[in-house]
Formats: sequence, C-alpha cells, structure tokens
Amino acid sequence: MSDELIELEEEEFTSQLTTPVLRRISGLLRPHWKWVVGFLLTIAMTSGLDAYFTYLNKQFIDQGIVLRDTARLLHLATIYGSFIFVQCVTVFTFIYLAGVLGERIQYDLRKALFNHLQDLSLSYYAQNAVGRLIARVTSDTGRVSDLLTWGIVDSTWALMNITSSTIFMTIINWRLALIVFTIIPVMVYIAIEFRKKILAEFRISRRANSKITGAFNENFQGVRVVKALGREDSNTREFQGLTTRMYNASYRAAWLAALFLPTVQIIAAIALGLIVGYGGMQIKIGLMTIGGIQAFVTYLMFMMWPIQDLARVYAEMQHSIASAERIFRLVDTPADVHDRSGAVEAKTLLGEIEFDHVDFYYEDRKPVLTDFTLKVNAGETIALVGPTGGGKSTIVNLLCRFYEPREGVIRINGHDYMDYKLESIHSKIGIVLQTPHLFSGTVRENIRYGRLDATDIEVEEAAKIAGAHDFIVTLEKGYEHNVGESGNLLSVGQKQLISLARAVLARPELFIMDEATSSVDTLTESLIQRGMEALMKGRTSFVIAHRLSTIRRANRILVIENGKIAEQGTHSELLQRRGHYYRLYTQQFRHQLEVQYGVSEELAGDDRSLVTADSIMLRREKPSEESVATD
Amino acid sequence: MTSLQPTYEPSITFDFRDSLDSNRLKGLWKMMKDYRLSYMVATISLAFSALAKTFPYLLLRYFADDVLAQGKYIQNSLTTTAIWIGLGFIGLAALEGTFSFLSGRLAAYTAEGITRRLRDFLFDHIQRLSFSYHATTPTGDLIERVTSDVDALRRFFSEQAIGVGRIVLIFIINFIAILNLNAELAVVSVVVIPLILIVSVWFFKKVTKAYEEYQAQEAILSTTLQENLTGVRVVKAFARQDYEKSKFEKDNWGKYLKGKVLLFMHSMFWPLSDIVLGFQTLFGFVYGARMAINGEITLGTYIAYVGLVVWLIWPIRNLGRIIVSTSTGMVSYARLMDVVKQQREPLLDGQHQAQAPARGDLLFENVSFMYSDGKSDVLKNVSFHVKPGQAIALLGSTGSGKTSLVNLLPRFHEYTGGRILLDGVELKYYSREYLRKQIGIVEQEPFLFSRTIRENISYGVGRDVSQEEVERAAKAAAVHDVIMSFPDGYNTLVGEKGVTLSGGQKQRVAIARTLLKNPRILILDDSTSSVDTETEAEIRTALDELMKARTTFIIAHRIQSVMIADLILVLDKGEVIQKGTHTELVEDKDGMYRRIYEIQTKIDEELERELSSVN
Repeated sequence: MSDELIELEEEEFTSQLTTPVLRRISGLLRPHWKWVVGFLLTIAMTSGLDAYFTYLNKQFIDQGIVLRDTARLLHLATIYGSFIFVQCVTVFTFIYLAGVLGERIQYDLRKALFNHLQDLSLSYYAQNAVGRLIARVTSDTGRVSDLLTWGIVDSTWALMNITSSTIFMTIINWRLALIVFTIIPVMVYIAIEFRKKILAEFRISRRANSKITGAFNENFQGVRVVKALGREDSNTREFQGLTTRMYNASYRAAWLAALFLPTVQIIAAIALGLIVGYGGMQIKIGLMTIGGIQAFVTYLMFMMWPIQDLARVYAEMQHSIASAERIFRLVDTPADVHDRSGAVEAKTLLGEIEFDHVDFYYEDRKPVLTDFTLKVNAGETIALVGPTGGGKSTIVNLLCRFYEPREGVIRINGHDYMDYKLESIHSKIGIVLQTPHLFSGTVRENIRYGRLDATDIEVEEAAKIAGAHDFIVTLEKGYEHNVGESGNLLSVGQKQLISLARAVLARPELFIMDEATSSVDTLTESLIQRGMEALMKGRTSFVIAHRLSTIRRANRILVIENGKIAEQGTHSELLQRRGHYYRLYTQQFRHQLEVQYGVSEELAGDDRSLVTADSIMLRREKPSEESVATD
Repeated sequence: MTSLQPTYEPSITFDFRDSLDSNRLKGLWKMMKDYRLSYMVATISLAFSALAKTFPYLLLRYFADDVLAQGKYIQNSLTTTAIWIGLGFIGLAALEGTFSFLSGRLAAYTAEGITRRLRDFLFDHIQRLSFSYHATTPTGDLIERVTSDVDALRRFFSEQAIGVGRIVLIFIINFIAILNLNAELAVVSVVVIPLILIVSVWFFKKVTKAYEEYQAQEAILSTTLQENLTGVRVVKAFARQDYEKSKFEKDNWGKYLKGKVLLFMHSMFWPLSDIVLGFQTLFGFVYGARMAINGEITLGTYIAYVGLVVWLIWPIRNLGRIIVSTSTGMVSYARLMDVVKQQREPLLDGQHQAQAPARGDLLFENVSFMYSDGKSDVLKNVSFHVKPGQAIALLGSTGSGKTSLVNLLPRFHEYTGGRILLDGVELKYYSREYLRKQIGIVEQEPFLFSRTIRENISYGVGRDVSQEEVERAAKAAAVHDVIMSFPDGYNTLVGEKGVTLSGGQKQRVAIARTLLKNPRILILDDSTSSVDTETEAEIRTALDELMKARTTFIIAHRIQSVMIADLILVLDKGEVIQKGTHTELVEDKDGMYRRIYEIQTKIDEELERELSSVN
C-alpha cells in the first residue's frame, strides 16, 4: 500500500524531453535496431493499407459500379484480397516484433538495474526504501519499454494513418483535403488537452484509492479499539469523506472520457458537412465523384482513432520519460564501497583487528562513532551491549566493510582493510542477523547459500553443528522442505537455526551475530546457544548480545553508548564497577528470572524494539535452560 | 455528507445484504437498485447513438440516389440540397455525440455510485462484525476483497456490462439497417460472425490463462527481487552477488519467454481474425457491387451498405474479450457476498435501556465461557463481587483466562454459562453500545491510529473536545511534556508518516484517551512491565489518576501491581483458584499466590548472590 503511495508521488514528476535524455532513451533501442526497423515498416504498411482499402472502395464505386464494369470490379477485388493477405502478415509482424521487443527491453533494463543494485553499497539501501527500488525495477522499466514499443507503434500507426489518409484525400480532391488539413491540428490539440485533464483526475482518484485502502487496513487492524471506543459511526462518516473524494475524481475522469470522443467526432463532422456540401456541388461539374465523397466520409469518420492514440501517447510520454530518468539515475549511482585500485586478496581475517581513531556518520551527517578505538585479538569473543542507537550496529557494519570509516583506519593484521578486495573480506565473514533472512526455496538451498559448492553431506554436517538438523528432519520433506517466501513458513527460531547452519557452512574466520530479540521456545533457544558456541570456537566473534548467557561467555564486554565505549571488561569486572553495565544487567537478570518462573510474561509482538527505544535497558529474552543450569 | 452535519448516524444509503442472491446475475441486478433507471437510460442512449451513427450513411444514400441519380433537388437547387445534406451530417454527429456522452456519463454515474456505496457499506459493515470474525479472518484477505473485488465490480458496471450492450446494440441496429436496405445482402454479410464469436471467446479464455501464467512469473520475479533487496546484508555478507544475479537472470528470462508466448498468441489471433473478417467484408462489398451493377440495388444503397457493414463486423472480435472478462465480475460478486452475509454485532440491542452512567457494581455468578467451536471451557464457574470504585486484580499465567474474562464485560464475547450482573441487571440486557461507553480499556500494546496525537486522544469521545480538555487529559497521563517536545506538538502525526512513539509513550497516550472518555469501569492490561523504571513510575502515576473512583480490572503479571487491589483473583486454566486481598493470600502457605510471592523474593536473593559471586 505504501509502495503504491511512493509510486504515486513519483508519478507526479514529469520531465521535459531533452536531447541527452532522448538520446539515451533511444540508445536502448540501438542494439535491437533491426527489430525497430522491422516493426516500424510493418506498422506503417498496416496503416497505409487501411487507408488504401478505403481508396479501393472508392474505385469499386467509381470504376466498377458507376461504369458497370464487372471485370474491373473483380480485378479490384483481387487486389483488395491480396492486400488482405499482405496486411495479415504485416499485422502479425508488428505485433510480434514490437511486443517481443518490449519484453526484451524490459528484460534488459531489469537486468541492468538488478545487477547494478547488487554492486551498490548499503548506504544506498539505507537512503532508498525497498518499495522505491522495487518500483524502479518493476513499474519504471515497464513504462519505459511501453513508450519505446507500443508508444512508438501507436504514434507511428496514427501518424501514418493520418498521412496516408490525407494523401489519398489529396489525390481524390485536393481542395476538399485542405479542409481536413485545417481541422487536424485542432482535433489533436483538443484531444491532448482532454487527455491531460483525464489523467490528472485519474491521479487524484488513485491517490484517494490508496488512502481508502489505508483506512480499511487501519480499521481492520484496530478493530478492537474501534469497538471498545464505540467509534463505528464516526469512522464510517470519516470514511465517506474519502469515498466521496474518490467518487468525484473518478466520476469526473469517466465523464470527461465520455465527452472526449464525441467532441473530436463533432469537429470531424463539421469538416464532413463542409466536404459533403461543397463536394456535392462539385459532382455535377465533374470535379468530384460519389465514390470520392464516400471515401472522404470514411476517412474522416475513422480519423478520431489515430488522434485519440496520439493524444494518449503524448500525455503519457512525459511520465515515461520521468521513469527513464529515474532508471538512469540509479544506474549512474556509483557504489560508495568498492575495491581500490591495486587491492589485494585478504589471506586471512584471523589476526588482530584494530579500529584506529575511527569516525563515522551516516548520510544524515549526525556523528555515530567519534574517535572510536578498539583492538581485538584473534579468536576473541566480543559482546556489544548498550542502548538502541548507541552505535553497536555501526561497529558491525564497519567491521564487515558494508560502510567505510569517514576518518581513521580499520586494520586487519596490521593492514588497512581498504587495501583488501571486498570479496575476499566478505567471503571470510559469517553473519547471523537479528531478523534471520531466508530466501524462497528449500532448506538445503538456504543452507548451501553459505558455500555454493558444498556437498549434501557437508550441508547436513553444518546443520548438525548448528543444531538445526534435528528439527529439519522432522519437517515433512526434510532438507527439501520449502521454506516459503522469505522463509515465512518456518518459525523465527527455525529460521535462526538455518541461518546459523548457513554461517557454519561458510567456514568463516570472523563471525558476527546480532542476537534476535524475538521469543523462541526454550528448546530452540538452547539449540541456538549451542550452535553459536560451535561457531565461535577458534574464530574472532562479535556479538550484539541480548542474552545473559551470551554476555557472560564473552571474553570482553563493550558497553556502547553515544558512539563511545562507555565501559569495557569482563562480566565480573564490569559488575564490580557498579556502572552502566551493572544497571543493565540487574534489570535484565530480574526480568529473565521472572519470565522463567512464570510470574512475568514474555513481551509479544513487534513493538519490543519501540519499547526499548527510550530506555537504556537490554531487551528482554527468555533464558535458555542451559544458561540457567550453569548459574 | 459533510462534517458539519451534527448527526452521528452515517448515511449508508443501501444495505447490500438485500442484494444477496444465489444467482449472481440476479444479485448484481439487486445491487443496482436506485441506479437501474439511469443504467437503463444509459442503454437507451447507447441505442440512440448507434442509431444516429447509421443515419449519415442513409443520408449518403439519399444523396446518391434521389439527388444525384434522379435529380430531385430541394428548392430545385443542388447548392441548397448539398448545404442541407452537409448540415444533416453535422446534426447527426451532434446527436450521436450527445447520446454517446449521455450514455457514458450515466454508466459512469451508475458504476461509480454503486462502487462508492459498496465501499461505504463494506467499511461500516466489517467494523460491526463480531469479535470472533475479526479474530479468525486475516486482514490481508479482507483488504483484497474490499479493494480488488470492489474494483472488479466497478469495471463490470462501467466497462463490461455496458461494453457488451454497446457491441450488441450496434450490431443489431446496423443489421436491421442493412436488412432494410436489402435482406439478401444482410444475410451474406454475417455468415462468419458466429464463427468469429466462438473463436474469439475460445481465444480470450486461452489468452487469459496465458496472461495469468505471465503474471505468475512476474510475481516470482518480484519475490526474488524483494527478497534480494530486503536481504541485501546477507547477500553482501556471503559475497553472493553473482549467484543472485544469475538467479534473477533466470526469473527475468523466464518472464521474457512467457511474454513471448503471450505475444505469439496475440500476433496469431489478430491477423487471423483480420483475414476472416477482411474477406467477409470484401465478400460483402463484391456481392453488393455485383448487385448494384445488375441493378438489383441502387448505387446509394451500395454506398450506405459499405459504410454500415464495417460497424456490423469489426466490433464483434472484441465481444469475445469482454464476455470472457465479465466472469471476473461474477467471481468478485460471490467473494464480496461472503463478507456481506456475515452476522453483525447488534450494538443497540438490549432490553434494559439504562440512561444514567453505570455505578460499576459487578457480580459474577458461576460464569463460564467457551468459544463457539465449543472445544473446551475458557472460563469455569467464576464467581466474585466487585463494588463500585474497587480495584480487582487478575493474576495468572498465559492462557489462564484473564483476558477472556475481561472481554466479557464489553460483550466482545458472550458468556455461555452463569450470569454477570452490572448494578443488579444482567449484562446481556444492556446494549453493547451502552456497555462500551461505560468501559475503558488500556491495552498492553495500545493501538494508535495514523492521525494526529490530538485526534488519537479524543478518538473515543463522541463529541467535540476542546484543546484544553485534551491537554488536561495528556497532563494527567504524564505525556503532555513528551508531546510538546515534538515540533508539531499535538498536531504531530503518529505512525508511518509521522513520529514513532515508544511503547511507554503509546501507553500514556492511550491512558489520556481513556481519561478523556471517562468510563465508569476500567480494564488495565498491566503494562508497566514492558518499560523501564523511570517510565514505569510515570505510568504508575498516570494510572493512579485513571483508577480514581472507577471500578478497575487489572490484568497483572507482577505482585507489585496487585498488592494495592481490593480483591485479587488467581486464575489457572479458567478457574479461580484463589481469591482475596494481598494480606489474606500471602497467609495461605500452599497457595499459588504465596508461591509467586516467594519467587519474587527469591529473585532478589539470586541477584544478590550473582552479584556477590563476582566480588
């Protein structure tokens, strides 16, 4: 729904045709120029033949019937008949060529966009909502390919139709054709004005429509409150305001559309009246034939269709060009994080990792890390704790080189990590996110994502280490079980286990985990804990920690507040200090036990993160059985 | 209806429950109530415009036969005759245009009018459906119905029904016109029409299927795209860009191929139907011309025929497309009626018409409750008595029945056994509307609407509220300062397009909302456990304010929250296992309450031990 709003907003921007943009848009056609020539020729022929058929008809009358010449008539009919076959071929050709070319251009654009998106840095994703990017790849490409194919087809057809009709009319009687010449621009102008108005109303109606959907959605989700507060009547009244707005706009758009054709038609009829009147007078003096008048009638009666098409293409063109500009802008965006020239392979990440006076801020320029310094030894487990927004995720983002420091250096084994190839760093990192992300497909495919050339046995081995194997085999199809879109057929805990297995399979040297805050059952919880332990063995690990057991197990705990290390040390050192950590820990400890003893309830829902946003406590989590046992 | 109107009765102009019918066409007909006349006029106008379309050709015939061939001039002047004929053309076009506009406008009036009242009705109807209906129906499914299905019905009235009418009318009128010119010619001109109709229906059914496959592939592509973009960190972390590219390539190429199939079907159908119809036209032309040469028809008749026959033949190939598309309208009708036929909660039903606010005396006598699926009791024999202004706490684990118990009070659900008396009158004799006015609920995770904070606070009050009142409520709920810290103050938008409030802030806004509503009975889902100590203290102050002089139900999780209650109920599996005040309950050494109480103490001790172990 909000995606639709984004699209609507963007559609408001129209662009004027400028030479560079036009050149670039037409450049999309260059590789397929043979197809373009093909459909241009065939559409022109189709359209010209339409006009020719009308002309043949005139000949039927003037040379066949009036002269009572059956032989001539049959001869003309043969010509007519063979051109029907020709037109059949041209129609087939232009529909197929233009249509397939449209699909092809869309394919090309989508491919280019998708591939470029893969190379763009996380900073780009942070600034552009996913809905926006999706609109870029889906609807914008569609609009551009439509313009380049059907837009050209329709306007070529229309222009060719108008041109060939006027040529034939000139051949029949040039004086009368002059009348037609004068009204065509009038008709085109009026048609375009109509189209623009209709389009504007249509936009209003779509905007109202998306608000209506929003109102429905909110009323359904908040129905409990609506009922409890007895808001039914006033909500309906408010809603009627929205439907009235929508009604007004769509009704207006609809009746404008109903007015459009008759208006154009009446203008044509005025010309027609002039022609028939004037032409009729000329028949007696032989300047005009009855067949000629019939032909003029047909040409004029059918002229509104090409004019309607021209108006439509013209009105929509500006929006298509705006789409093209957005696509080009995306393709032109360089990746912030990329390999430096002369970058070398990072042989190993197992070694000393050092943040040396690192400054960092995101695009909003608000400082997140200032003069951040940290040294981590190979194999150390670091727990990052502290309030939301303190900078924990940023440290991890920099470490993974999703972002690069604005100031200062990050060194791995004593070398600035910007001297290494990105791919060689990323391929040695294992990461488990707070909200585990899976892809549609089977369990096996999702685990194998960690190392594509892993054998089935290796996949299962990794699942066993991560503690995921046991639940996987209970699934209906085991490892071939389909996880659903974004893994939604599995529980959060199961998704986490699979993403752990995926990380295990990747055999990382550096392991990064953002512990989940959502609740999972106790059994799964302890499995996850065990899987994490297995992963951390012999690796340098960074964990954004929420669970006491994880925190206690860390070699070093960093309390991150306001982009700085507020406190660091081992669990017992920090507790003795009775500072930030002490406060966080006691609060968390109390809650954990309350949950465990069943006197307090686990928080449910997605609001958890909001709840903690204004407090400095850790997120509450159920303890694992194991961690309680070791207390 | 404007907002100035003082009435609170929304004007739902048509009850769509009256349009329920097992026969879908009949149902659609019933749905058109009040609009039938305009739709009929639209159809008649359509016929007139089709008729006006045929006359220029007949005028041409008159011109060729009477004027030119026979020399019958108006006022003996060719010039005058020609001028009159020219004017005739203009006049007929004006007529045709007027009728066509009228028909278009009336059809739009009908379609948009029906759609608007359908949307209004559905919105109103769905929010009045029972609690259990909402609990069991996914929001996404309902949204799908009220948007796509409603739009399919709109298209049925605005495009499909009228489209079929237009083509059929044009066909009939032109056929009759040609029949009048020459019967033989008329028959000759339509020989392939039945064939083309059947073939086009067949084709469009096929193409609809191919299109669905194409759309399905597009959906697959979108999923891949969406998953890739939302999982960008995973993709990058595993350096799987190339793998993702080839995955997308596969789906993208697959869609290209599906598109090719679809286009091939189109590029076969249109030229083939062009050939058939083209030769049908040509056949008619030649046949007519031969007749004209042989003198069986006049030249004028031929000319008129040539003009008319085009309208007879070519629209037919679109008829197949429209006929096939009407089936979507039918399916949508049925899907909407599934929602329309659901039973509403009768808000106003109640024999006891209480006028004054309730005092808040509640007596539960052996109350039991089970859901309509009737599997197991959610509440069993619950009995207790709360006096006006007292606070009663419900303690128990998840699933013990605490929430179900309080849900009985506003009659969200109906108890299935025993009775509940409010001020001495059984609950089911009160109207739901009355009860809900008397009861205020503060949920653990309150739902706020995407409106301004002011509107959210005054949301539950059925009258205009002054800024002063809103602020007083916000101050009492300890949220005024927070609100003032936003740049837009009380006009700050909440939600997606505005600020994101923290859990504690949301709760206090909800408390302000309830304060303003000023209910006699209060239900608090004890919320303080979800926020930090500082906020907890603020909320507690706000709650104390709220509970003053109201009968209050507290759903509690912690001993601290229930200690102050006048009566504590300990629930387990739907039964009250302990009842009393804190001091009484703590006495019972074997009771659950005592156990919970001890755990709290134990926790403090454990924490102490944990801390001392590191020292």
